[in-house]
Amino acid sequence: MNILGISAHYHDSAAALVVDGVPVCAIQEERLSRHKGDAAFPLLAIEACLQHAGLEPDALDAVVFYERPMLKFDRILTCALRAFPQSWRAFPKAMKNSLGEKVWMRGIISSYLDVPARKVLFTEHHQSHAAAAFLTAPTRRAAIMTADAVGEWATLSVGDGERVSNGPTKIRRFREIRFPHSLGMLYSTFTAYLGFKVNEDEYKVMGLAAYGRPTLVDQVRKLIRRTSDGAFALDLNYFEFHTTAERSYSSRFIELFGPPRNPYEPIDLNAADGQRFADCASSVQRVLEDTLVELAQALHQETGLPDLCLGGGVALNGVANARLLTESGFERVFVPPAPGDAGCAIGAALYCDRIHFGNPDRDIPDHPFWGPSVDGSELARLAREDGHTAAEFGDGALIDQIADDLVAGRIVGWMDGALEFGPRALGHRSILAAPHTTEMRDRLNREIKYREPFRPFAPVVPMQSAARYFDIQPSGMRLARFMSGVFPVRSEWRSRLAAITHVDGTARVQVLEPAMAPRLHALLEAYGRRTGIPVLLNTSFNLAGEPIVNRAVEGYSTFLRCKIDVLVAKGTRVVKRTSAIPKTQVDKIREEVA
Amino acid sequence: MDSPRPNERPTAFDRVLTPVHRWIWSDTDRRVQKLFRFGETETDGGRDILRAAEITSDPLLRRLYLEHAIDEFRHGVLFRHRAAALLRASTFNSNPGFYGAWLAPGGHGLDDLQVDGESDSDMLAFLHLSEKAAASRFTVYRNVMQHDPPTRAVFEEILHDETFHMNYTLTQLARVEPERHRRHLWRARLSRLWKAYLRLATGIAGVFGSILLTIQYFVLLPPFAWLAKRAARRELSGWTTVSNERSESLDRQY
Repeated sequence: MNILGISAHYHDSAAALVVDGVPVCAIQEERLSRHKGDAAFPLLAIEACLQHAGLEPDALDAVVFYERPMLKFDRILTCALRAFPQSWRAFPKAMKNSLGEKVWMRGIISSYLDVPARKVLFTEHHQSHAAAAFLTAPTRRAAIMTADAVGEWATLSVGDGERVSNGPTKIRRFREIRFPHSLGMLYSTFTAYLGFKVNEDEYKVMGLAAYGRPTLVDQVRKLIRRTSDGAFALDLNYFEFHTTAERSYSSRFIELFGPPRNPYEPIDLNAADGQRFADCASSVQRVLEDTLVELAQALHQETGLPDLCLGGGVALNGVANARLLTESGFERVFVPPAPGDAGCAIGAALYCDRIHFGNPDRDIPDHPFWGPSVDGSELARLAREDGHTAAEFGDGALIDQIADDLVAGRIVGWMDGALEFGPRALGHRSILAAPHTTEMRDRLNREIKYREPFRPFAPVVPMQSAARYFDIQPSGMRLARFMSGVFPVRSEWRSRLAAITHVDGTARVQVLEPAMAPRLHALLEAYGRRTGIPVLLNTSFNLAGEPIVNRAVEGYSTFLRCKIDVLVAKGTRVVKRTSAIPKTQVDKIREEVA
Repeated sequence: MDSPRPNERPTAFDRVLTPVHRWIWSDTDRRVQKLFRFGETETDGGRDILRAAEITSDPLLRRLYLEHAIDEFRHGVLFRHRAAALLRASTFNSNPGFYGAWLAPGGHGLDDLQVDGESDSDMLAFLHLSEKAAASRFTVYRNVMQHDPPTRAVFEEILHDETFHMNYTLTQLARVEPERHRRHLWRARLSRLWKAYLRLATGIAGVFGSILLTIQYFVLLPPFAWLAKRAARRELSGWTTVSNERSESLDRQY
């Protein structure tokens, strides 16, 4: 049975193909269109999935969209009516936006793919999140919690799931909290207030939080109160996201927290305003964590299950995830590699397979590498055309050479195997570097990633060595598998892991099992043999404002535009010369035409 | 200025609009907004040209596109930095209300070009015309910026690059399509004209749509708004029970 899952039209569109109960390909549209956070209908991703499996659209048994468009429209219209007459500016925009394409998904999918309309199905948004979190996790029974900004109406849901090997699957959602009461919207409102991009830069708020103190927790608690049934409600007097599209916080919010940050001004943490912004970030982070922990504790008591599967964009908050692990009562916490909307494509397809069609449960390979594979020969060809020397190595020799490069302080663009699905680079499209000094962190920030100095870099470490460098319990290894948790760096190693240790002594570590990314694992071991510390700095292979690279040519063009020293695609290694692009020919043209 | 002044002559249309441009750029708030928008446009254009570099099979074009893209990214940074500097210095007492986005457009966002589907010759022709138009406009902007030398210097610097871009795209087009490069240019001109018409038509349709929807909002919606508000008041906050039977059916869109 071939089932295509699609998520689109909010942010980060994606497609995923499930064949006989197992995903065979999943890819975000941005990785192919090269527009970061591309929300367009994911035609390129769909094509890539079908091509990967050698299928034509008519071979699809179902195409599942990750939410119910009419239910979402119902929410948009209802909110506009409730905010009458303040919503008069937002109303025409919202209607044009929805009625232009978004509500007609059955017809649109049917006509794009030329499949009968009856084959087009719809899951609920949080159902997709729940399925993505539970059905991809190696657990048979688990409590499920999903939280994001908003789906159709739901913003947070709790439930449980049960699956029997080769037998039936059950996913139940007990209850949900509805828009406009939303933890995701609360966090996003602070994201906007702190001058960052909503739906994109929430992780910057988390990074900034470590520089502040939660001195404004009482003020944040005025914005969100706990209800008598254990849920929460936002005080809408402080928000405007439910009435206008222009601003998410109100004048009362500004009275409470002071003037918002100008997005174009850097944050100076030594200035009073800079510290205030860091304190705001720290306070909203604390309130988010406290709320999630309390909700999860109640869910644990209710279900009595040892495992929790977390889904939705809020599950990208690694600091909160680590607290959930230690304080909620659950023994293990599972977060999929793509907990956000992109991951809903896989969730919708799996839900359709297991629940709608009632197919027997199948184990899902426990890795994030569902995209196209990189071609080393493509890199060799490009480099040679441009006059670079491209050396091709066998596995062992390549690992030794790259380990030597890293020891020598070179920064390596690393492309290996299939592209990751989800926002994290987990070892197949990474920039790798020695993790030991703050100079390396500053160099990466300044010369390659072009990003704010307060943002930390993540480490990757082999599983067997993780506990030596990081204060991470065996149960935390699961969270760290997909870089979903933040854990303390052991104090005795902090000075030697300065590039990856955040200001609060933590790191968003990836713990690597050999089977997940064998070559990167071998590289870590080779690096460990040379330096005594098998830890590398691992950041996504992209520049600011660009999606993670997919093909070798994209890695190559990124390599030429920044100060990455060495580029690797599979077995091919290219080293940057003093002049990245042979200038002579271009200069000649410049002279001719200038 | 130390550097030689780019010798681009604005088109007659841009020259006629010089007083309008002078008025648009006279207000600091408007200038800040426009520079930020130009920054975005240049960066977006840079990304598209980068994409062109990644998909072309011609190694020379790849290198030229890459250099071009790097220039565009740098222009984006120049515009943003200048806008941020103006923002810091500005007290923002003025509130122009009108930013003249249509009358004083930016560089050459390639939003309406599907880079992946274009041949090298079509891409070069399109880029040449875009750069030419941008150089013409930027010349006017530079000329009306006597009162703001740092912003003028930004346009001056960018104009140098635009002139290079304009020229290399033409010479490369002649290299790639020696026989038919003029035909490609004419096709690109017509395509730009058609897209300009589509943008205008879409814009006008959008305005009409907004007017109609706003009228509907105030004429038709009030009773429904009253009902919705009344229902909202009765709604309890907190948990809502989920009906799993209802949500398990995947055939429904609501």
